[in-house]
Amino acid sequence: MINNKIITFATVLLAGSFFLTGNGHAEEAYDVQAYGPKTTIIFNTPVTASFDHKVHTADIGLDCSSCHDSEMVAEKRGFAMQRGVAEATGQFTMAAMAEGQFCGVCHDGDMAFGVDENCAACHQLPDDPIIWTAPVKAVIFSHDQHVNDIGLDCESCHSDVFAMKVGAAPATGNYTMRALNDGQYCGACHDGETAFASNTQCNTCHIGVKGYNRAMGTTPDTGGH
Amino acid sequence: MEMKINELEKLENEGVEQLPSEERRKFLKFGMVVTGVFLGGTVLSLTSTRTAGAMSGPVPEAGKFPYSPHYTMVIRGNRCVGCELCKEACVTTNNVPSYGYRTTILEKKRKIANEAVETAFMPVLCNQCNRPPCVRVCPTTATYKDKTTGIVRMHYKRCIGCKTCMAACPYNARYFKEENRAVDKCNFCWDTRLSKGETTTACAEACPGDVRIFGDLTDPKSDAYKLLYARDKVAWVLRPETGAMPNIYYMND
Ligand code: HEC
Ligand code: HEC
Ligand code: HEC
Ligand code: HEC
Ligand code: HEC
Ligand code: HEC
Repeated sequence: MINNKIITFATVLLAGSFFLTGNGHAEEAYDVQAYGPKTTIIFNTPVTASFDHKVHTADIGLDCSSCHDSEMVAEKRGFAMQRGVAEATGQFTMAAMAEGQFCGVCHDGDMAFGVDENCAACHQLPDDPIIWTAPVKAVIFSHDQHVNDIGLDCESCHSDVFAMKVGAAPATGNYTMRALNDGQYCGACHDGETAFASNTQCNTCHIGVKGYNRAMGTTPDTGGH
Repeated sequence: MEMKINELEKLENEGVEQLPSEERRKFLKFGMVVTGVFLGGTVLSLTSTRTAGAMSGPVPEAGKFPYSPHYTMVIRGNRCVGCELCKEACVTTNNVPSYGYRTTILEKKRKIANEAVETAFMPVLCNQCNRPPCVRVCPTTATYKDKTTGIVRMHYKRCIGCKTCMAACPYNARYFKEENRAVDKCNFCWDTRLSKGETTTACAEACPGDVRIFGDLTDPKSDAYKLLYARDKVAWVLRPETGAMPNIYYMND
């Protein structure tokens, strides 16, 4: 999945950050005019993704104008020097990027790694398990297990099976065992063939109120005796 | 009182070994296999025909019920996901304080193959026993067996709070309610629902997994009857060795 470009790139990055932590002056010397805003820009709509100026300017050596160009902004091939503009277009999607817009201008699998791969470079894989409390308390899902242990690609779930947003599935009002047993959501794989069936071993997915309280570190209020 | 329970246990628990093999087979056919180590490690076993008196094992013979309606709850344990909606419904319906419970969910973890751990949830409540040890030990008849329905109920005003019933209950299904200075317990929602014409308990109604099936065994059309007397179904009760003859049955699916 991860191509050589990325591995090389990661090495460069690592060396860079080592340099920065090892040299306080380099840190102070960060020039916002030359490199753009220092803090990582986090997009939250429709999902969470991040963009780091420093990587693109200081490390890779791109000019401000390669992204901040009014003509390109108008064509949705560039970015305004203002946070939130791209998101506000309502068209800041993977589909648009795959067609060469926004980040896709360079992230085309040629100039830079493509948007159809290495999802986790821009979308952080959640470390902690996701726990749903609706319709029932509580069901647990581990990205770590599914991605790192079982070896599934992000695309096997995102976004045909699950939106890349916690809470999207319960918000449909249809996040039920019936839907799972019909092959939706977890049931896309937990069908007895790809993975254990959704109508078996209930408490592998369900942890109950007791498991939820333990996960949250709250004392179970079972009461009595 | 502790003595009485011990005596009871000695008297009633003869175990399956004494049964002639033919009898044993009959038992298994009726689906009276008893397993599990819930409730403080009590190992469950079969009750024999002889010691259970009129009843042939934990599940009464179809058609032979001492009460009418003969209320029961069949619990399909493997479907329980521990969401505790039942408990919430019970608390609201029966005004149960946070320090007590009329019904609760036990959790059990056990090692299974490949070093995996399996979690099981088990709903428990008053077993509305046919021979309730709590009723036997109550000095004021504050707790009694309803002659019609068989529900073990409370005369709260008669309760002196001695808690002997709490110690006698094999199911830990009673608690002392500070608010009315009396012991409180599950009564299948008799006062709050059944006596008002509802046909099921709050917990059974709230269960999203159809784990708790409440019903009247004298009605062959009830789901409880159909489950309990289905062909090839295995049902068991908790702590049959106490001879209390409980009316809460457990099965898988
Ligand atoms: C690889 C593309 C790229 C390059 C190169 C780039 N930027 Fe940006 N810049 C972005 C994106 C993306 C945003 C966020 C736009 C949005 O949210 O619509 C942004 C936003 C900004 C913002 C607004 C930050 C805020 O908090 O509102 C400033 C200021 C900025 N850039 C300055 C610079 C400067 C100065 C340079 C050159 C030194 C530069 N950028 C180079 C992509 C780039
Ligand atoms: C002007 C071209 C250009 C644009 C536009 C661009 N990038 Fe990049 N980006 C690069 C190049 C070149 C690399 C180096 C990686 C490589 O060689 O594949 C890179 C690397 C990265 C990395 C890997 C470094 C890391 O921090 O892990 C991320 C993440 C990234 N870009 C995110 C984005 C996002 C998000 C956007 C859109 C908001 C974006 N890029 C827009 C050119 C661009
Ligand atoms: C180069 C960075 C980058 C890569 C690589 C990338 N994305 Fe995105 N993705 C973004 C940005 C930026 C947005 C839009 C802003 C937002 O929603 O936070 C976005 C939006 C999305 C969205 C919501 C919008 C939509 O299209 O439905 C999904 C889902 C998504 N990405 C999934 C993926 C998956 C799956 C992969 C891997 C196949 C992937 N992304 C790879 C940067 C990237
Ligand atoms: C086996 C299915 C599966 C795979 C594979 C998977 N995810 Fe997810 N992901 C989910 C589910 C389920 C959610 C929550 C959706 C919901 O609640 O509706 C989620 C949510 C997310 C979120 C949103 C987190 C938040 O706080 O809102 C991100 C980001 C995400 N996934 C990233 C990834 C990335 C990156 C990969 C690949 C490295 C990946 N996922 C692979 C199932 C998966
Ligand atoms: C893209 C396919 C896919 C989807 C979607 C998926 N899973 Fe899985 N899951 C697997 C596979 C493959 C395994 C490993 C094989 C097995 O255990 O049968 C697995 C294993 C598991 C395990 C056992 C992990 C362990 O080894 O302890 C749990 C729990 C689990 N999944 C929960 C979920 C839940 C909850 C969802 C929905 C939110 C979900 N999965 C969605 C493919 C998937
Ligand atoms: C592969 C994972 C998985 C397995 C296995 C699973 N569930 Fe679920 N279950 C879920 C998810 C996901 C939800 C929706 C999220 C929530 O309610 O927290 C859910 C919701 C539910 C609900 C509430 C919604 C509804 O359908 O009424 C019940 C009840 C339920 N499960 C019972 C069961 C029972 C009983 C079993 C075993 C026979 C079981 N589940 C097995 C994942 C699973």
